[in-house]
Amino acid sequence: MGEPMRRTHFRLSPSQKERLSQAQERCREAAGSVHASAFVNVGDTILVDYENGFLRGHGTQLVDGQLLATVCGVVERVNKLVSVRPLRARYNPETGDVVVGRITEVAPKRWKVDVNSRQDAQLMLSAVNLPGGIQRRRTATDELNMRDLFTENDLISAEVQTLHQDGSLHLHTRSLKYGKLENGHLVKVAPYLIKRLKQHFHQLKQYGVQLILGCNGYVWISAVPPSSSEMEIDQKPADSESRQPGAGTSEGQNVEITRDLRVRICRIANAVRVLGACGFMIHPDSIVDTYEASLSWGIEPRQMISGEFHVRVVEREAEQRSKKG
Amino acid sequence: MVLETQKALLKSDGTRLDDRLPTYVRPAFLKTGAVKVAAGSAYAEFGSTKVIVSVYGPRESKKAQAFSDIGRLNCDVKFTSFATPLRGKAGQDIGDKEFSVLLHKALEGAVDLHSFPKTTVDVFALVLQSDGGDLPAIITCASMALADAGIVMRDIVAAISLSCVGKNLLLDPTYKEETQEDGSVMVAIMTSRREITQVTLTGEWSSTKASEALELCSDACQKLGESVFLVPKVCIEEIGNFAIFQLPRPPLRN
Amino acid sequence: MVVGLSAAEKVYIAGGIAADIRGDGRGRHQFREFNIDTSVIPQANGSARICLGGTDVIASVKAELSVPPPGRPNHGKLEISVECSPTAAPEFEGRGGEELSMDLSRALQRSFLGGTSGAGAAIDLAALSIVEGKLCWALYIDGLVLSSDGNLLDALSIAMKAALSNCGLPKVEIIGGTSPEEEPDYELSGNPEEFTRLETSLVPVIVTLTKVGKHYIVDATAEEESQMTAAVSVAVNKKGSVCGLTKRGGTGLDTSVLLDMISVAKRHSAVLRRALAFAGLFSSPNVEKRPVSFCLLLFRRLDANGCRTK
Repeated sequence: MGEPMRRTHFRLSPSQKERLSQAQERCREAAGSVHASAFVNVGDTILVDYENGFLRGHGTQLVDGQLLATVCGVVERVNKLVSVRPLRARYNPETGDVVVGRITEVAPKRWKVDVNSRQDAQLMLSAVNLPGGIQRRRTATDELNMRDLFTENDLISAEVQTLHQDGSLHLHTRSLKYGKLENGHLVKVAPYLIKRLKQHFHQLKQYGVQLILGCNGYVWISAVPPSSSEMEIDQKPADSESRQPGAGTSEGQNVEITRDLRVRICRIANAVRVLGACGFMIHPDSIVDTYEASLSWGIEPRQMISGEFHVRVVEREAEQRSKKG
Repeated sequence: MVLETQKALLKSDGTRLDDRLPTYVRPAFLKTGAVKVAAGSAYAEFGSTKVIVSVYGPRESKKAQAFSDIGRLNCDVKFTSFATPLRGKAGQDIGDKEFSVLLHKALEGAVDLHSFPKTTVDVFALVLQSDGGDLPAIITCASMALADAGIVMRDIVAAISLSCVGKNLLLDPTYKEETQEDGSVMVAIMTSRREITQVTLTGEWSSTKASEALELCSDACQKLGESVFLVPKVCIEEIGNFAIFQLPRPPLRN
Repeated sequence: MVVGLSAAEKVYIAGGIAADIRGDGRGRHQFREFNIDTSVIPQANGSARICLGGTDVIASVKAELSVPPPGRPNHGKLEISVECSPTAAPEFEGRGGEELSMDLSRALQRSFLGGTSGAGAAIDLAALSIVEGKLCWALYIDGLVLSSDGNLLDALSIAMKAALSNCGLPKVEIIGGTSPEEEPDYELSGNPEEFTRLETSLVPVIVTLTKVGKHYIVDATAEEESQMTAAVSVAVNKKGSVCGLTKRGGTGLDTSVLLDMISVAKRHSAVLRRALAFAGLFSSPNVEKRPVSFCLLLFRRLDANGCRTK
């Protein structure tokens, strides 16, 4: 898997390095892990059943009848289709993905949004809820007041509406749960660490923290917004939009953030950073697990980004995997 | 060696070569409205250091830059080729650029950038004659020029430098004194708010000496500021287009 | 470096600083973890690399034989420059990094070079003199920004201090006459055991205090730096003397606040210096790791130019 500790700045002592590599070895050996041969480098031969035929997918090339990888990543096989999914690459959007993005430009009738994809995504003025919540045609006045909704550098959550042939993508925020993000901060991880799930908005009620796992690798960690505390996001009926006008984009929902809440948000954020650096999948369970581990080990939030904590997280993961197996 | 330099810069009665006491600044001459075509301009003399600053704008920002709600302040400092004894002093290009940056930093806190959104104010400074304390002279002069141009400002900025030679602190040093200094301090202050907009310090200073030097500079800026404050006013009242301010100095001896 | 933050993020960062808990869990007066590697560049006389969180810088010291600066026959030369590589951020490409590098190098020069008379310099300039009026060492200290996540100035000053401590100067033997008229002859020792170290105990470290809202913090990240109203960088040496002061940011500061910041920076610098000593910095200089061939090359160049390298 190459160097597993990416984007980290600490140096490990020789004993820590030893412990880390042992734990990684155990993780690899544990049942359920992808077999080592599934990881390929550029130019590696991919084993395929030549007799029954195969379909050449993304990330592969045929040279002299042999199937070679063109990217570093994991071999994926679906029936006869063989492709390689790159691990370190930009976000590959799919329709329906929940993403977190940053507005880069306010253009006529649309916003450009950075979603860690190859191109900036487009959010059309017609694809957002206007304050007031009434469905109506967009007027010239709306167009002039676009910066009142979202301005440059604002962070938003949105859903991928359509993908186009030329690689461009359109977003929409036509739901109360989408819109401007407030009272928290952003952590970036590699997009492949976030699996597409049914639910990407999570409220960790026990901590009073809201977590948005953007499929594009942008994770938003914030205080639970007041409007959503009484409403269950996932079971929300579709017609509730008209009942709660404009809650998705309204400003000034600044809840009082206590120091304790900040510490909890910070611990969650650091848990995401650590998991991201160790290359473990990021989902609410793994985050809560890391959070609780840091508490039980008596580790301060700021010590969570130290080398020792990373090593212990990998060791712990190895133990859990070998137990399962 | 230290004794030698002291001897060279201070006379036996403790006054400097130009008869100033160490804590006295040079006589200053300040005038606004030096350049007709500019939106605002000012001319300043501190001893034989002479600078001229003109301000243009606010006008449309030329460069296509990212959207910005606030205005831009563009500062540029140039030395004339005859400003220094050696024509085109070595390494002067770097000096110009650094002065431009320091001028910008000293002024940006005082100018209300929100008052001219999406536009640029250009501040062009030209050092006609360089004889020590160039940068403070430019800063003081530029703040007058900005006031003359009718730019909304929080306060007037006045600046003074100080050299440490041996044990002596020499306020508003000349070029000769600057070349022998062991350390220097430059302070720019918004005078009526008493807030420091820019400060630089070089050389080794003990804490007590550093604070003494900073206090000395800020007091001098304060006094200078009071005079500067009057200049645009005097001009507005059309009493004359210039004003001379003689700061206290010891009587000349024959 | 330009960091775009939404209004909500800005409020959150400022609020965190007010509550004494920053985004990565640090308090206002806590530094990030840092690592120092020394002797990282074999072709330099001394070098060091420091990683301070996401900030990564290298400093190298190269020594060359030179003639003393005009007017100061018994002094050596000390020059400082900083380069921001486009590998650190795409914005640094072409002339993009120029303004930042100039800012950084000027702040470092202010802190390391002392007054125009040479007093208060980080390295005793008289110690760099070899033959008065004829020959001296010129030390070129170069900083390189590899990756930038705030607090570049502090990181560079630490790296430069470490590189200077790591620096070993080859021994110079004077063969010819030392009378004023004669052009003396010199020989650089190729023996890696023979070197002199620099006295670096008075090299200052810079502590930058960044003011965000009502409070100030140490070791700001790039995100926090984008929110500063003012920042004051104070260089402090072992004696507790202030060796340089640089202010950034547009907002004015009260004199009393400034003096308070200086005293806080002094406390932090003491902690930093202890950490530097603890990191085993003052270990072996770079000389033994330097290929001998380099010394010989320098020697030959000297011969050709009649002992006057530029």
